[in-house]
Amino acid sequence: MADLAVHTEQLTKTYGRRRGLSTSGRRRGLAGLDLAVATGEVYGYLGPNGAGKTTTIRILLDLIRPSSGRVEVLGRDPRHDGVALRRRIGYLPGDFIVDGRQTVTELLTYLANLRGGVPRARVAALAERFDLDLTARIHSLSKGNKQKVGVVQAFMHQPELLILDEPTSGLDPLLQQTFLAMVREARANGQTVFMSSHVMSEVQATADRVGIVRDGVLVTVERVEDLRERAVRRVEIHFAAPVTADEFADLPGVSAVEVTGTLLTCRLDGRADPLVKTAARHTVISLLSEEPDLEELFVTYYRGADGAAA
Amino acid sequence: MLLRNPFAKALWDFRRSLIGWALAIGGVSLLYTSYYPSVSQPSMVEALRNYPEGLKKAFNMQDVASPAGYLGSSVFGLLVPVLLAVFLIVAGSRAVAGDEESGVLDLVLAHPVSRTRLLLSRLAALIVVVLVVAAVVFLLILSVAGQAKVSSIGAGRLAAASAQLAAFGICMLALTLAVGAATGRRSAAVGAGTVVAVLGYFANNLAPQVHGLAWAQRLSPFYYYLHGQPLVNGLQPVDCLVLLGAAAVFTGLGLASFRRRDVAV
Repeated sequence: MADLAVHTEQLTKTYGRRRGLSTSGRRRGLAGLDLAVATGEVYGYLGPNGAGKTTTIRILLDLIRPSSGRVEVLGRDPRHDGVALRRRIGYLPGDFIVDGRQTVTELLTYLANLRGGVPRARVAALAERFDLDLTARIHSLSKGNKQKVGVVQAFMHQPELLILDEPTSGLDPLLQQTFLAMVREARANGQTVFMSSHVMSEVQATADRVGIVRDGVLVTVERVEDLRERAVRRVEIHFAAPVTADEFADLPGVSAVEVTGTLLTCRLDGRADPLVKTAARHTVISLLSEEPDLEELFVTYYRGADGAAA
Repeated sequence: MLLRNPFAKALWDFRRSLIGWALAIGGVSLLYTSYYPSVSQPSMVEALRNYPEGLKKAFNMQDVASPAGYLGSSVFGLLVPVLLAVFLIVAGSRAVAGDEESGVLDLVLAHPVSRTRLLLSRLAALIVVVLVVAAVVFLLILSVAGQAKVSSIGAGRLAAASAQLAAFGICMLALTLAVGAATGRRSAAVGAGTVVAVLGYFANNLAPQVHGLAWAQRLSPFYYYLHGQPLVNGLQPVDCLVLLGAAAVFTGLGLASFRRRDVAV
């Protein structure tokens, strides 16, 4: 219990009809969520829009209250120890909305003061890393630049627990890399990261584990490594001489075999051994195995066991 | 540093509207006070004497010939409290409900700030704003009292009226802020503030003239603000306490509800 950063048991949240439909129209509650995020891990919290990701996060921060069930964050109850608890948390909301009339420095200074102060050098270093203009007025910033401000304010006080709601939305690929590097550093630092997303690719690069939530319940929790091992990947083998598709078609885990002259492409599900051994009978010029597409696995969970559309 | 805590931050954020409204409300009181010499002409007084009594009561004009009567009806009786109420309904409804609806509140409450602290900080900042406006009104009227021939009122009674004005403002502010905090809806806060201001005005001025409705006057914040005639009789501590007590009750109820409920996205 003590080594869990986030722990929920049978957490439910039902919204009144008016509230539930007021903003997104798709926002759903929780229906008995059991969540266990270990201290020091990076946990990817995945689910389609409306699955209850933001609802969960808002309960952890005591912005909303659960209808029933238990919740503990860093060993404390967000409802009763909210202020002390939130001192130890960094939060990036899904929609980072702040008063646009202030400058970036004014906002960051105020937020840092609420947390009891953050060294100026730390803020300056983060801003430089993200190429963020601290003197700009917030309303003049692009969506991506606003998101940078959001990331900086979440990380600047080096909190024990980072709660990030769709953190990379709006960031360009280069900044996504910077962000991912910061998440890795946070983990190396012993900080816990709980980040939500609706796309696997966002979290598979950093997360130790992913929990997939659908309709307000946790469908599965997997180690990303295990997922990777099981995942379907596309393999391309270039031989010295033409090969036949038949030789490869029946191999375990291999499907969608296509041969055009000396080039073979197929999908590989599971271990690569049988495919490699068979290919080794021929002269292999090059072998390309793409990074597994975990998205596909994830989509299967989205749809549910019966395969019905979500 | 002005960004040290939620109170200082709120005060800093209100600076523009404070300056604008203080100048507007102060300017109106200055202007109307300066009119007094022309209103107190015998011909004008004669003309007003022939107005129906009910109409005069409805607009607090029973005694416009004396400086206290004139300022009490035109400046302190209608224009200034109405402008102040409009300002506070706008600002009070923004303070919690407006920020919540725009989504700004989320981030602040995700920081180590309790809802109680947030609400009380913003209320306190707006109370400072009310006090500044009342002080501006007082100082500007005082500065032209000699020229406008209203100096017979005296600085003390002028200050008393300004203090009652501040108490009235705090009451209206607390009401709007509390309804906004309880509901999270700006429209509800504006609605509640407006209904109380408008009905309160008419309840205070018209209800006594309607048989069986006299009790309604006692529900109006305008009654506790004006009926003791602070420009004539000085500060009315009981009336001020009623206004401030009501403000405390509104705040307590708003806070209790704000602490319990979900914050909207």
